[in-house]
Amino acid sequence: MISAELKKVILDELNLDDFDIKDETIAPEVPGWDSLNHINIIIAVEKHFNVKFKGYNVLRLKNVGDLQKLIDSSKSN
Amino acid sequence: MFINIHPEKIPELLSFNQNDPLVFSTSLFLILFFGFLLVYNLVSKYKNTRIFLLILFSIYFYYKAAGYYTGILIISAIVNYYFGKWISLTENFSKRKLFLIIALIINLGILGYFKYTNFIIQIFADISNKQIDPLAIFLPVGISFYTFKSLTYVFDVYYDTLKPTNSLRDFSLYVFYFPNILMGPIDRASVFLPQIDQEPFISKEDIGRATFLIIIGLIKKVVIADYIYSNFIDVVFGNPLRFTGVENLLAIYGYTLQIYCDFSGCIDMTIGISLLLGFKLMDNFNSPFKATSIADFWRRWHISLSKWLLDYLFKPLQFQFRSMRLFGNMLALMITFIICGLWHDAGWNFIIWGALHGFMMSFAMLIQKPKLKFYNFLKINNTKPLKFIQTIITFHLIALSFLVFREHNIQDVAYILTQVIQSFHGQVFVQFIEQLPIIFGLILIGYIFHFMPAEIDRQIQKLVSALPLVGKAILIALVIWIAVQFKSADIIKPIYFQY
Repeated sequence: MISAELKKVILDELNLDDFDIKDETIAPEVPGWDSLNHINIIIAVEKHFNVKFKGYNVLRLKNVGDLQKLIDSSKSN
Repeated sequence: MFINIHPEKIPELLSFNQNDPLVFSTSLFLILFFGFLLVYNLVSKYKNTRIFLLILFSIYFYYKAAGYYTGILIISAIVNYYFGKWISLTENFSKRKLFLIIALIINLGILGYFKYTNFIIQIFADISNKQIDPLAIFLPVGISFYTFKSLTYVFDVYYDTLKPTNSLRDFSLYVFYFPNILMGPIDRASVFLPQIDQEPFISKEDIGRATFLIIIGLIKKVVIADYIYSNFIDVVFGNPLRFTGVENLLAIYGYTLQIYCDFSGCIDMTIGISLLLGFKLMDNFNSPFKATSIADFWRRWHISLSKWLLDYLFKPLQFQFRSMRLFGNMLALMITFIICGLWHDAGWNFIIWGALHGFMMSFAMLIQKPKLKFYNFLKINNTKPLKFIQTIITFHLIALSFLVFREHNIQDVAYILTQVIQSFHGQVFVQFIEQLPIIFGLILIGYIFHFMPAEIDRQIQKLVSALPLVGKAILIALVIWIAVQFKSADIIKPIYFQY
């Protein structure tokens, strides 16, 4: 389940007022979330949640649900 | 296209000849393929026989173009299969990474030896001002394609996004699969492997789409690309100073269309042929000249390569350089596209071509925010007139970059552009149309079809699908007949065959 906090970080980074982001949402479905912008969202998430991701874990993300799980596991470590 | 059959020449015709590979648009391929298809359909219910037959035909297909270098292909399949297995069986992260690095060294080492040794020797010779003879290295055809194809498997197993196959036979079929082995698309193991287990189901729509793609592919490759190449582009670019600026400019437009029709025509045939075998391959093109930016172009051109580079090279680099923010992104782009250029072939023109694309995209990224503000100020953002202008500008940048891509000697690029700027002679345009109406007509038709709404394409495809089987056969025969009228005496190998 995507937290409201993560949704807000993503929407803010993409300058979007609102967009229905679910677990299975993939980047190309969200306006402005392209391969060049992707890293800005990762940086924003790292900064907001005060976590530091490993490349391996970020590169295997398939959807926003995976990103939420990665944040949760990074915070608990 | 049609050959006169002399029984005594059949063994020679069927054996390895690097100058006579089984290009899809040759009669020899069509005869062998339809014979194979017949047997393949007869045994389609028996999984093991079907797979065995497909592997055998694929190895023969590759052998016909590469001879004993087929051994490298077989070694590559075995190596990558076992590295996939070892990575998946290893829980220790550092060991997994080590296996990945060794697999990369082996794959890229083999590719590098065959493709870049002489280029590196030449650079050393130039730096040291010595004469060093190049080594006699035969470049096994398709090596860049099948190396990258196999690596998708190793990477995806490493990232744990793909469960490795337990069958060396299935993995070998993925690597050897003849439709896409020489020129792509660089299909993902994750999409291809599950299709091996399924009994081929070829729907009426699949046959219709396959017929459409084979017809369109033949027209693009033989009628448009080969004809305008041998009768116009090669003549002008062979000696650009003898021709006016108008002719040089038309040759630039012609070459841009040629490279698209040549490559995408072959890919259309590949996807069509593959559909008849029950395998769906990925699309490699999506009207690339409709792109409104260079980044958009790379989402539409050689999609299987650009997606490969994005997932396995750009994204890791981008992550690595993330502390540099925008400049990190730009650096990752430059490195990715220089490697993209080098992937095609070893040559300064390919490096410059890649660097040009990397630079254009980096620059676009740098000015993105002020540009958007400016468009919003003028209230033209996302409007049709703006998109039209963006498409025209992008197309010309692409056309210029392809000129660099084609010419191994950068001096020739300068000659061609100088002619366009200094000796334009606009009045020659009318004479050109009068004297070379077929060339002009083909270039015009090629571009009109390209810029047509995709819906028209779908409607034509529907019409072809609706034809009865006899109608489809007559249509293919008719297109082959037309292609024969346009065909030149020599086989013109596809441009991407050499990469």
